Amino acid sequence: MTKPELDSILKKARTPERPEEFWEEFPGQIAIRLNRARTENFRPKRNWFPQPAWGLAAAICVLAAFAIGHWRGGLEAIPLNDVLANAKVVRETLAMFPNRVRAIVQDERGLNLVLSDNDDVPDSTPLYVRICDGKQCSSFVTFSGQEIQVAGQKMTVLSDTQGGIILTGNQFVWSNTERTYAGNQLKIEARNLDLVAM
Amino acid sequence: MARMAGSDELNWIQNSLAGDTGAYAALVKQHQKMVHAVALRMTGSLADAEDLTQETFLRAFRQLDSFRAESKFSTWLCRIAVNLSLSWRARENRRGDVHSKWAEKAISENDSRGGFPDELSRRVQNALDKLPAKQRAAIILTVYENQTHAEAAKLLNCAEATVSWRVFAARQKLKRLLKGISHDQT
Repeated sequence: MTKPELDSILKKARTPERPEEFWEEFPGQIAIRLNRARTENFRPKRNWFPQPAWGLAAAICVLAAFAIGHWRGGLEAIPLNDVLANAKVVRETLAMFPNRVRAIVQDERGLNLVLSDNDDVPDSTPLYVRICDGKQCSSFVTFSGQEIQVAGQKMTVLSDTQGGIILTGNQFVWSNTERTYAGNQLKIEARNLDLVAM
Repeated sequence: MARMAGSDELNWIQNSLAGDTGAYAALVKQHQKMVHAVALRMTGSLADAEDLTQETFLRAFRQLDSFRAESKFSTWLCRIAVNLSLSWRARENRRGDVHSKWAEKAISENDSRGGFPDELSRRVQNALDKLPAKQRAAIILTVYENQTHAEAAKLLNCAEATVSWRVFAARQKLKRLLKGISHDQT
């Protein structure tokens, strides 16, 4: 086999092709990881508050969050590692794909973007939803009217002008205002994400 | 800065340096397929290639201020991808007799899901997997990325003669491994 013949064989070899959706979503995944890294790496630069005072303040905050959670009917506090609770991450992700983001989902596989093929997702207030099935929790940011599959459940998310959020699935209906819940044992939390105010 | 970069690319780089991840996403979109192809040739595995592609772009973002435009942005990215692949491979090798296991894994992975589009492509990748990593990097850069030996040497941080030797040795092995394949085969 000559050198040109070998080169010809090498160049004819093709690599597996990824679907176009993979390439569409890949830059967004990188941006999300960069934003997440930026958030996680944040450290206060000045240590002007004595360490014991920080500990006491943190303990008071945890107790307060715990008490409020119980008072509001058992809602779980948003965990600190929930990237979707970070308005900057959400805002920048939405800005990257205007009117195309159907949902940003965070589950055990990490962060994933669900994009529409066209820029047909109407402008509206983003909605934050957290669903726990036992110890398995997923959270996502989406918009009213979107049908999303999370935690093995296909559901439609709806909101009204009063801040009410309704989730309807095949086997359940949930509302954050009426505290109604019919269905299985999912624990659900939902709220409007005011990106400007946050 | 970025004499070798186009005006769009220059803007994206400058905006990325200012912390604009949206601009960086545009750079990623521009070069993602090239980086993924290099990583895939280096690892022989789709899953590993995806991880390495992500790592390459994350590393590049962190080191963006060190890009001096002495080369094209794509070449700079390629350097990061190849070096990450080499260090990743070295790390894997330290975990045991990984070299052969890795090739076997890649072969079975590709066989089972038919990742490679045809038999020729699969056989070539299997042959590349059996080369020592530095020889494989030299072949990928010179054959697939069309770099001269001098350019590849700069990228691999070694002498041009070293690259020439690696390419020569790799070709000898590839000829043996790919014996029986006609260059007319498609």
